[in-house]
Amino acid sequence: MTSLDRRGLLRLGGALTVGAGLAACSGTGNSTDGGGAGDSRKGEITVWSWQGPAAQLKALLPEFNKAYPDIKVTVQDIGNPAIWDKITTGMAAGGSGLADVLHIGVDYLPGYVEKFPTGLADLGPLGATKHKDAFAQGLWQTVAPKGRVNALPWEANSGGFYYRADLFEQAGVDVESLQTWDEVIEAGKKLKAATGAHLLGIDKPASQPDAANFFQLLLQLQGKFYFDLDGAITLDSPEAVTALTLIKKMNDAGLVSDLSGGWSALENSIKQGTAAVLPWPTWFGGIIESLVPQEAGKWKVRLPPAVRRGGATAATVNSTHLAVAGSSKQQAAAWTFIEYVLTKPSSQVAIYRGKGIAPALMAAYEDSVFHEPSAFFSGQKKGEIFLAALKAPSPAFNYSADYARALKVVTDAQTKVLLKGADPAEVLKQAADQLAQQTGRKVVR
Amino acid sequence: MTRRSIPYLFVLPAVLLFAAFKLYPILASFRLSLYKQSGGVETFAGLDNYARLLDDSLFWTALGNSAVILVVQVPLMLALATGLAVAFNSTLLKGRSLFRLGFFLPMITGLVAYGIIFSVLLNQQYGLVNWLVGSDIPWLTDPLLAKVSLGLALTWHYTGYNAVILLARLQTIPTELYDAAAVDGAGAWRAFRHVTLPGLRPALLLTTVLSTIGTLQLFDEPYVLTGGGPDNATLTIGMYLYQNAFKYFDFGYASAIAYALALLIGALGLLQFKVLGGKS
Repeated sequence: MTSLDRRGLLRLGGALTVGAGLAACSGTGNSTDGGGAGDSRKGEITVWSWQGPAAQLKALLPEFNKAYPDIKVTVQDIGNPAIWDKITTGMAAGGSGLADVLHIGVDYLPGYVEKFPTGLADLGPLGATKHKDAFAQGLWQTVAPKGRVNALPWEANSGGFYYRADLFEQAGVDVESLQTWDEVIEAGKKLKAATGAHLLGIDKPASQPDAANFFQLLLQLQGKFYFDLDGAITLDSPEAVTALTLIKKMNDAGLVSDLSGGWSALENSIKQGTAAVLPWPTWFGGIIESLVPQEAGKWKVRLPPAVRRGGATAATVNSTHLAVAGSSKQQAAAWTFIEYVLTKPSSQVAIYRGKGIAPALMAAYEDSVFHEPSAFFSGQKKGEIFLAALKAPSPAFNYSADYARALKVVTDAQTKVLLKGADPAEVLKQAADQLAQQTGRKVVR
Repeated sequence: MTRRSIPYLFVLPAVLLFAAFKLYPILASFRLSLYKQSGGVETFAGLDNYARLLDDSLFWTALGNSAVILVVQVPLMLALATGLAVAFNSTLLKGRSLFRLGFFLPMITGLVAYGIIFSVLLNQQYGLVNWLVGSDIPWLTDPLLAKVSLGLALTWHYTGYNAVILLARLQTIPTELYDAAAVDGAGAWRAFRHVTLPGLRPALLLTTVLSTIGTLQLFDEPYVLTGGGPDNATLTIGMYLYQNAFKYFDFGYASAIAYALALLIGALGLLQFKVLGGKS
């Protein structure tokens, strides 16, 4: 044993610097570069969105520029989930480098608003408040919980239940008559015996954060969420235990296929027909149609059965929004664009025709496109099915600023149940306690 | 300008860059680690963030995962690298530079690129590995196997790199020592044990310290391969730090994690110098 020599010390110093380099990666700033309104009919603005929606925004530009020739819009497809990190980084840097218009999902909006109060511009003074009643139920509270209008709703997705009608027919099951998820499980057993197909798929090891989508749907059908409206944790409510127990029953009966590996695994599973039910929201119909166009007429869609007999079958499970960056120097022009895209029925109808993105704007639903029978979905009027869900009363869900943390503990709990056979009540209680430790929120029991 | 001031002038650009892009962020993040943010308002929290660390089961899980890799994967990889270095150095091996190049090549592959390749290879349903094995082993979705897969990926990527460092040192060991050992009647194993290993000591120390730092900061591979799952089986401190900063916007807490990590790396580095350093 010898004491450190000079060179050794230098090396160690180098090692420490490398370690601290990571520390350096986590800086933040609070101030936002002073944004400005600018001219509402003139300017150059950038828009951040992802894949399908970005393509639809681009497709709208020629029409938009006929009305506003002096606003030059650049739509950038940042990709999802990359866009969230990019927005976070920009906001942490006081808004520098952010686009003028940001497309933000309901899962991120409250977090941005709480952590970066000036990160998004208040759309109220720009004229947003007059559209207050134009959108589907509960959405205005999502974008303007305390009066300040942080964004304007774009999509409103209701929980759906897409299924392979041909497979269920083979198993002798009438899917339209299924009233509860318990009945679905029984139907799933018949289906598995007759066709070998799984009932549905879940990303069991939670390789992606959205692995808990199905659990969340079951929870929202019961009008509950991870937080109550006051922000307290309700993660181990009886409803949550019911939801996770249903999933455990399905899994124990061998009805759940594994969708680990994210989007490509999901696509493969649909192409191979691994599972007969896709409990996904409105927007997913267009995805199925584009993945397996040759299966037209084999698919049908309905609203999900209730969790308890007579319970709700409609839930607005997510929405996305357009917001203006607080740092934007062209806020008025950005607002002009947002207003054009989100409050003009013709824009929303065009977007729906393109990618099946369901508008939050209720007036858009008067267009015939929502009332046409769909050849792919066996002649059903898919638009009307989801419209009925949007019109049904839907409670507001509080995603809170800690949704990402909640999602993490929830997916971990679900993984324990699916891979290790853990007890739903127990893992949810642990999850709730862990979330409380991390966030300082109270658990309501 | 005097003769004495000229050297300072020459080092000035480097010092300025270091101060702006290393020193300032390092100090700023230390300050950040003492603050809490709520509703956009920073409040001084003293050591609260650090106290929270001690209570955070996920932090300990992450630390445990890193420890497992450190205790199992790093020694295995370094043993493998030592073996490779000896082979690379052997005159019996034909086409040595080709082999050296081959084993070093993984190192120049981008971290994310090779992570994605491994995740495709190890995919349970559609992966090449399971197709070759002819079964469906849950490489990335079983908590234990996910750790094994991560270890495999790391070993593939870093063994050649370490072997090259060791090889460089190996080539400085005078051949006379081997001759003398042979004269004294030492066989191949004893020569390796008493000449090669002691000669390699400084390089072994370097590779151990580098691997320790790398393991504790591990991020790209688990991020791409497993996302830290399943059920946090491959969550590393680097990933947990990232999640807290960029998923949960909890920059103060993330900075506290970073400082805890830096301290830990420093302590482990010191320990390794003490144990392996020897007389220099």
